[in-house]
Formats: sequence, structure tokens, C-alpha cells
Amino acid sequence: MLEGAELYFNVDHGYLEGLVRGCKAGLLTERDYVNLVQCETLEDLKIHLQTTDYGNFLANQTNPLTVSKIDTEMRKKLCSEFEYFRNHSLEPLSTFFTYMTCSYMIDNVILLMNGALQKKSVKEILVKCHPLGRFTEMEAVNIAETPSDLFNAVLIETPLAPFFQDCMSENILDELNIELLRNKLYKSYLEAFYKFCKNHGDVTAEIMCPILEFEADRRAFIITLNSFGTELSKEDRETLFPTCGKLHPEGLRLLAQAEDFEQMKRVAEHYGVYKPLFEAVGDGSGGKTLEDVFYEHEVQMNVLAFNRQFHYGVFYAYTKLKEQEMRNIVWIAECISQRHRTKINNYIPIL
Amino acid sequence: MKMGQTYPAPAWDLPHRHGGHLPCQDCSLSAFRNTTVPSSLTPRSMDLRPCRTMGSMFRSEEVALVQLFLPTAAAYTCVSQLGELGLVEFRDLNASVSAFQRRFVMDVRRCEELEKTFTFLQEEVWRAGLALSPPEGALPAPPPRDLLRIQEETDRLAQELRDVRGNQQTLRAQLHQLQLHEAVLGQGHCPPLVATDTDGSSERTPLLQDPRGPHQDLRVNFVAGAVEPHKAAALERLLWRACRGFLIASFRETEQPLQDPVTGEPATWMTFLISYWGEQIGQKILKITNCFHCHVFPFEEQEEARHAALQQLQQQSHELLEVLGETERFLSQVLGRVQRLLPPWQVQIHKMKAVYLALNQCSVSATHKCLIAEAWCAARDLPALQQALQDSSSEAGVSAVVHRIPCRDMPPTLVRTNRFTASFQGIVDAYGVGRYQEVNPAPYTVVTFPFLFAVMFGDVGHGLLMFLFALAMVLAENRPAVKAAQNEIWRTFFGGRYLLLLMGLFSVYTGFIYNECFSRATVIFRSGWNVSAMVDQSGWSDEFLAQHPLLTLDPNVSGVFRGPYPFGIDPVWSLAVNHLSFLNSFKMKMSVILGVTHMAFGVVLGVFNHLHFRQPYRLLLETLPELVFLLGLFGYLVFLVFYKWLCYTPASAASAPSILIHFINMFLFSQSPTNRPLFTGQELVQSALVVLALAMVPVLLLGTPLFLFRQHRRRSRKRPTGRQLDEDQTGLLDSSNASEAAWGSDEEKAGCPGPEEEAEFVPSEVFMHQAIHTIEFCLGCISNTASYLRLWALSLAHAQLSEVLWAMVMRTGLRMGNKIGVMAVVLVPIFAAFAVLTVAILLVMEGLSAFLHALRLHWVEFQNKFYSGTGYKLSPFSFAVEE
Repeated sequence: MLEGAELYFNVDHGYLEGLVRGCKAGLLTERDYVNLVQCETLEDLKIHLQTTDYGNFLANQTNPLTVSKIDTEMRKKLCSEFEYFRNHSLEPLSTFFTYMTCSYMIDNVILLMNGALQKKSVKEILVKCHPLGRFTEMEAVNIAETPSDLFNAVLIETPLAPFFQDCMSENILDELNIELLRNKLYKSYLEAFYKFCKNHGDVTAEIMCPILEFEADRRAFIITLNSFGTELSKEDRETLFPTCGKLHPEGLRLLAQAEDFEQMKRVAEHYGVYKPLFEAVGDGSGGKTLEDVFYEHEVQMNVLAFNRQFHYGVFYAYTKLKEQEMRNIVWIAECISQRHRTKINNYIPIL
Repeated sequence: MKMGQTYPAPAWDLPHRHGGHLPCQDCSLSAFRNTTVPSSLTPRSMDLRPCRTMGSMFRSEEVALVQLFLPTAAAYTCVSQLGELGLVEFRDLNASVSAFQRRFVMDVRRCEELEKTFTFLQEEVWRAGLALSPPEGALPAPPPRDLLRIQEETDRLAQELRDVRGNQQTLRAQLHQLQLHEAVLGQGHCPPLVATDTDGSSERTPLLQDPRGPHQDLRVNFVAGAVEPHKAAALERLLWRACRGFLIASFRETEQPLQDPVTGEPATWMTFLISYWGEQIGQKILKITNCFHCHVFPFEEQEEARHAALQQLQQQSHELLEVLGETERFLSQVLGRVQRLLPPWQVQIHKMKAVYLALNQCSVSATHKCLIAEAWCAARDLPALQQALQDSSSEAGVSAVVHRIPCRDMPPTLVRTNRFTASFQGIVDAYGVGRYQEVNPAPYTVVTFPFLFAVMFGDVGHGLLMFLFALAMVLAENRPAVKAAQNEIWRTFFGGRYLLLLMGLFSVYTGFIYNECFSRATVIFRSGWNVSAMVDQSGWSDEFLAQHPLLTLDPNVSGVFRGPYPFGIDPVWSLAVNHLSFLNSFKMKMSVILGVTHMAFGVVLGVFNHLHFRQPYRLLLETLPELVFLLGLFGYLVFLVFYKWLCYTPASAASAPSILIHFINMFLFSQSPTNRPLFTGQELVQSALVVLALAMVPVLLLGTPLFLFRQHRRRSRKRPTGRQLDEDQTGLLDSSNASEAAWGSDEEKAGCPGPEEEAEFVPSEVFMHQAIHTIEFCLGCISNTASYLRLWALSLAHAQLSEVLWAMVMRTGLRMGNKIGVMAVVLVPIFAAFAVLTVAILLVMEGLSAFLHALRLHWVEFQNKFYSGTGYKLSPFSFAVEE
């Protein structure tokens, strides 16, 4: 990128940036959450959401309203917004958007493969797929027997193809292998995305790299946490860690050796960013989970992304914030529908 | 309740005349406040006429805050009646209650449910290509019990429609399926041909040509089907990749487009025929075709079997078509019923929902027997309001009660307009809706706006065209076709037709003053200049005349100048070469004179504001200094212009002094020896004026704040000692205008005499405000006067443009040839060009630019002298559709 990209950023992407900032202003505020939490039924929730930017997105839903209906409609709304952005974008922003969809595509592919493994019908699983990660060949995933099959026949034309370079093996696809495949895909995806942002330079790199670094490290932590007590060997574990984070390389090596949560925490203590996060995690009885803490940190980074102008990070941040908001609404809606009000306030506030 | 005894209510005295039973707190004070409602008029007849008196234009009407006690049983009918009349604007008394905790939320929700069904019905009607006609006649909001009936009927209708629709869809889907199958079989007539077509040179060709030949064991199987065209390429590639050439696929577009079963739109499909070897490949192909949502059909290998199947299919689809036709007939019957019933329902339910939303803004009385609403209502409409409430609550036995309450909030602004004044009020409102009861510039705008426009647009011909265009619109305004036109640009012009009418008329007038008609001068009266007298007396020889193309007419020679032209500019000037410099001098001076007059008028209008808001000190501390400053400096300039015009004759013209130099010297307190004084003692007068004007600046800067500060101090000193007595007095003296003075203006809020306002006095804020105002006014006087020179510039531009157009187009055309025939032929396109350019450039473009500048002169130069425009409009709760 040339110096002074701010000068002509607006020529190509000014409209979309303006639009996304407008959309961001439509995120639910603290007051909205206070009102949502007070709702007695899902109908109340719907009425309240009508007064926000969601409008009457539930107007055509037949009664009774369920949480999954709300979830689907919200996803549809996000998806249509995203599609709009994407259809109006120019290079290299459109590549950036493609990278953004890749993570959802990976999830969808894995979901379908798991479904095929458990002999579920494709239709049943398609409903669960994230609309942002849809692609035409998606449903053909279940004809593949091995990863190379999958790559050669189905995914070679999709943006996912480059990420398969590292995970071509002739293994039979069983549950463990699929999980390994997911993590490997994700690893190469994150690294590719990171490289893209880094090469792009400018404010985009300044904003996106920390976010992606955090994402990579979060995955490393989560993989470590989930591999405790499984048959995954430590060497295998290390191959799954994305290497674009702050933990690379020392932290990752230590993490690969970690055997319980305490050891993991000790690794994190070497890093100024993660130390406070691990300290905020409560012990089993109360307090926040590690996941929530990570989410909160992510929200914070995404909100901060809006402080700079002339970069692509706002699109990423907006999508992530919107997703968090949807998780919050779903959480509140679940609490309401299950009459489980004690935990209703455990949503992640968006600042 | 806000009815403290310190605010003796400016209560509504009408109840007494009508023998009503309204609570009225203080009758002694009420008498002098409400003189605007003549009791002789019956309530109903007066409020429906839009503009009864022009008096209401000068300032916005008195608007009262009223409390409505609506008995629970009659609340709905009352509010619905109010919606029909559009008299009041409800205030939200439940602002703190969220939308879903309000009283009538259930009813609103039911209305919304119904509207959802309506939307479904409406979309179905539209999809069938039918239109919904707007309902006719008056449709009041239905009584609440009707909601159930409408709901039932709607649901039944919707269910019926859904069933028929569903039937139609399934039938269509079946038909679609059959047609696709037919297309696939039709395509399958010639598989060998396909093979040779696709890869004739390949080694696989013999396999296909002779499937039962030497490779009997390698049986060729077929999969045939159809896929949407945009997926075909991807499908073909995927098939090839997944099966690695163990198949041959041929794709072909259907010959005729098929009707899509859901949308009903025609779309072509791709049919495909895949021939393959081997069982496994077959399974894979099936999976792949499945995931692309292809329709796969059985494909007979024998030609005859295919023929038989095809015929069977054709017969089936014939039968299906008949059934489908029957279904569609029934569907159109149902849709016809929907078309008839839906529009009135939509209007009714819409009204009903609006009523419930309005009721949601009311609070419930302690006894739950009635709803209490607060609303703004024009004082003049109060009798009508009460009448309406009585009428609609009489059924319930308990009558609804209206009761005027005092308030400290600024009431909304209501200026009633008719179709003539609406566009002028629109110009003012576009700048800002006036503060409650401040002087409304609109009535003056009626005259000044077209006038200032015309000064910049002065041309008889152009003005006449504009006038005629506007006149045509005015005469045709009642025609339904004109009213119903939807074009946005047309609506803009149509909305301002009376404005255009006056602008055209005034342009004709200024056109006569400038003596220009399509840039040509008219000779209506005899010119004041006599050339022959000049020739007679100057003794010009023939030789002299031949050598000098330009001759000077000297007004000092007797008989040459016989006195001014009776009206406007003398036509002889259009022949003169110094025409432009003469006009420039004239127009420049005229602009300054008009500007200073206009601004001074603005300052004077401020007087009415101060008088109305009971702030007499501002007359002395603001209006007077402002007037002295403006008139002392620029008024004096105007005086000089007039003085020079009147006192210098052609004879003394050579020795006439320059006003400009004088005016500059005035500020420098100096005198230039070459510039003779205009009148004796001029220097003294000038110095006095400058000193006076400059002395006004500190008065303007400090006067009001110091006065308010002193008033505040005096009151706060008095307060602790004689509280009891003082309260009575201030109550009586001040509170009568407390409600008005309270929102008098920003700085006034601080100095308002109301006891509770005392705490709000912030001296720094008042000083700051006044400082800004002073600087703005003093600098504005200079820059605004200069700004009025745009009148000169624009009128010059207009005159020159039309002159150029005449010279470059029409005159060249007229000079083309001397023969009548040639002229006639040439002049047709020339005149067409002239006419088009006149309308496009001079009328539309120049007109818009002059309009814009006139608008600016009003908003910036005129209105900032007195108009704050910080109010908000009264928007009554009304069912009437905005035009």
C-alpha cells in the first residue's frame, strides 16, 4: 500500500465505511438491555426490539415465538446487511470480506461432515449452518471420504482451497480427525488472514493484527483447555496452534506442555494482555467463565476499532459486535423463555 | 399537578358562558386574558374554516394546555372523534413507562396482528396483478367490539386465500415437474448426437455409438434431469471433478421458458443427460445432483418407451392445466372479495390503532373511573373541543370534561394558513418554526419576497411568462388530475403556485421600471430626450457626423432634456453606450436603499416581540441602540443618496461630490479638499452620527445583562424579609405574564420574574449571549448591507444574459436575409432556439438563482434581526391524510 492511503480511501470505500458506522450506531444501548431484561415474555421482547434498529423483523413470524426463530431472523438480518456490504465492495475490501466469510464456511463444512458421519440428513443440518458461510457446493461435502477427496472434488473452487494445503492426509474422516481438520483449517485460515492484513499495511494492519493475534491466542488457549484429558498427544496439540498470535513461539511451546488449568494460567501470566483476563476468571462456583472473559476482551477491541478511520477493521468489528449482540439477545431470550431469571444479567455488555 | 397558587391560572373563561361545569381556579384574572374567542360564534362553524382572520398570521395563535378527563367508557369514542377533527396534540404522560407496559398495549397488539394479516392479503392481491382502490366515504374508527368481527372475517378470508393459494401452488409445482420431465425426455431423443457433438474425436465416442457392441459388459446408464441455469456450470465442473471422466454430461437449455411455481415468472431451465459407467459413480452423481437441488427424472433407454412416457406426460399435464384453471378462477373470486373488503378495513384498523396509541399516552385517574389526557389545543378551538367531547361522551352518560391548566413549557406554534399563505409560511418555516407567539415574518414575506425576487428578475416578458404559468396552475388547481399528479418536481412548483404568481406579477412591475421586455426597451410614453434639439443647437456638420459614430446628448442644452420619463428608465438609454454604467449606478444605490429599509423594518418588528413578551426594557436597551446604529450609519448613507439625487441638477453635475469618499471620510473623521461638502455643517453632523452610533455599542452590549442582574439582585435581597407579602404581589403582577415571559427567550429564562426561576439566573451566560448578539448585529449591519448588493449583481446578470441571448440568437436571425420567404423559413428554428433558451436559462435557471438569493436575503439578512425560530409546530392528532 502506498503512503497516505487515507487520501483516497474514501474514493472506493467511503460509502461503505459511512454505512457501517451508521449500522454500528444502531447497536443496542445499555438502556435497551435494561429494558430487554425486564421483559416478561418473548412477545414483550419482540415489542421492545421493534423500537430499536431491528424494526419489525419478526413481524411475519407466526405464533408462538421461539428463541430459535428470533435467532434465525437476526442472523438473516445480519446476513443481508453483510451481503449488501459485500456486493458494494471493491478490491481489496472484497477479498477482506471473503476472508471474513471463510471462518463461517469452515464451521459449516465441519458441521456437514459431522452430520454425514452421524448419518443425519443434509436438510436437517443445513438449517443449522450459518448463513454467512453458505456456498453452492456446500451440500456436496458429504460425498467425500477423505480430506483429499474433499479438497479435490468439492472445495477446490471455494476460497477455502488454499487452507487445505496443510491438512491433506489420506486419513479416514472420523470424529477426531474432523476436529483436527477443523483446527488445522482454522489455523491456516487465521494465518492467511493475518498475512493479508499485514501485507495490506496502513491502519488496517494496525487495527486488524491485534484483533487477529488475540483470536489466534484465544484459539490456542481454548484448544489447550479442551485437550485436557483427551487422547490428543502434546505434539499434535502444538501443530494445531495458530502461529500468528502474541504467544508464538515461546508461549505456544509452553502451552503445548501444559497439563491443567493452573499451568495454563501460569503461561498466561507471562503476557501482560492475558494476565488480567485469567485473573478475572472466577472459580467454579461463581464469577465469569474464561469464554466470557475472552468475549469481553474481544468486544472491547472491536469497539476500539471504531476510533480509527480509513481501515477495513470496522467491518470485521461490526460483524463481530453484531454477533455478540445476537448472542446477548439469545441469552436473554433463553432466560426469559426458561424462566431462569437469575442469570439473565450475564450477557456481555457492548460498550 | 402544577396548579400552585403562585400561578393564578390564565384560566379559560368560556365554561361560564356556556354554563359548563369546569373547575376554574381564578376567575378574576381570567377575564382579560382570553379576548381571542368571540362568544358569538358557534364553536362548530368557526374551526373548520382554515383562516378566519388575517390577524392570526401576524403571530402564532394562542395555544393552551388542556386537561381532558375522559370517562373510561367514552374515552375511545372521544379520542376517535378528536382524531377526526384534528384539534389537539396529545402530550405523553407515560414517557417513563416503556411501550409494552402501557394500558392499551393488548389492543394495539391485536390491531397489529390484524395489520399483519392485511399485509398478507394485500401482497396476495398485488401478486395477482390487481390494485386496491382507496376507500370512499367517511370511515370512522370502528367501535372496539367491531374489532372481533373484523378479525374473524379477516382470518376466514386469509385462511381461504391461503388454502386456494396452496392448492394453486401444488398444482403449479406438479405441472412444472411434468413440463420439466417432458423437456428432459424431449431432449433425450438423440443421445448419440450429443456425444458426437461434445467430443467427437475422443476415444469414448465408439462406446456411445454402439452401446451394445463389443463392450456389452460396460453398460451405459443414464441420469437425466433439470437444473437452474446459474448452477449448471458449477454442477458440470463438480461432476467432472468428482467422477474423473467416467461420465459424459450434456447440458441444454429448455426451448420455452417454464413458469416458476412460486413466483409465476417465466424462467428457462437447463436439462441435462448424464451417461456413466459403474454403480459407485451413479451413487455419487445422484448425491451431487441432490445437493444442487436438481430435478431428476427416470429416463427410459428405449426410444419407444420414452415416446410412450412423453405422451402420457402430455396427457397428464393437459388434465392438470384444466384443474389449475378451475383453481385460478376460484382464486380470483376470493381476491375480488378481498379487493372489496380490505381497503375500508385497513383505514378503520389504522384509525383504531392510532386511537389506542393516543390513549396509551393518557394517565389513569386514582379512581380508575376516567383517563386523564393532557393536550395542546388552540384557544380558539376550545369550544369546538368541548362540544366534540360532549357529543361523543353523551352516550356513556358521564360527560368528558375539558379544563385549561397553566403550564411553564413553551406551547407549540400554530399558524393557520390557507392555500395562498401556505407557501409563504413554508418559506419561513423552512428556516425555523417560530417561537410561540413571536412575530411571524410570513405576512411581510408575502410582499417582500416576490419584490426582492423581482428586483433581480426584472423583465416584463419573463415576468409575464412566469405569471401566466402560475395563473394556469391556479386556475387548474381544483382539477383532480392536477391534484393527483405524483411527480415530485411538479408538486414543488404546484405547491408554490401563488408564490410564483406574485413573483411573476412583481417581475412585470420591475420590468417596466427597468424598461426591459426580453431585454428590449418599450416606448410607451414619449422619451424625455430630444435628439433634434441637440442637432439644431450644436451645429454638427455633415463631416463631423460622418466621422463620429457616437454623439453626446447634453442635458444642459435647452430643449434636449425635457424632464424625466413618466415611469421607469427612459427608453433612450437602451441606445446609449453608457447604458450599463448608468444602470449600474442606479441599481447599486437602489440595492443599498432597499437593503437598509428592509433591515430597519426587521429591527422595528422586534418592537412587537418586546411589547408582546412584556419586556419594555429591551425597547430601550436593544431596539433603540440597534436602530440608532443602523440608521445613523447606513440610514445616513441612504439620506446622502437621496440628497444628491434631489439637489444636483445637470448644470451642477460637474461639481457634484462623491458620496463614497464622503462616507469613508465620515469614519476617518477627515475631509478631502477635492470633495466638496454636500451641505453646510456636514462634517459636524457626520461626526455626531459616528460618535452616537459607536456609543450605542456598549449600551447594546451591557444594557440588558446589567438590567437583569440588577433586577435579580433586588429581588433576592427583598425575598428573605417580606416573603409572604412579596409572593402575593409578584404573583399578581408577574405571574400573569409568567407563562409567557418564561419562555420569552433564552436569556430571558434567566431573568424571568417567576420565583422558581430565580435560581436559574447565570450572569455569565446572559453576558455571553448578549455579547454574541452585539457582535453579530454590529458586524452584520456592515456585511448585510453589502450582502444586499446581490440585488444589483443578479439583476445585472439577468439583464446581460437576456441581452446576449437576444443579440446572439434573435438578432442574427433577423439579419439573415431580406427576402420574406428566406426570413420566414430561417426564423422558425431561430425562434424555437430563442424560446427554448429563454425558458431554460432565463426563466428556470435564472429564476432559481434569483429565488435562492431572495430566500437568503430573507433568512439571513431580514429574519436575524428579530426572528429566533426556535419553536416547534403544533401537530394535532388527526386522521386526515396529509396532502
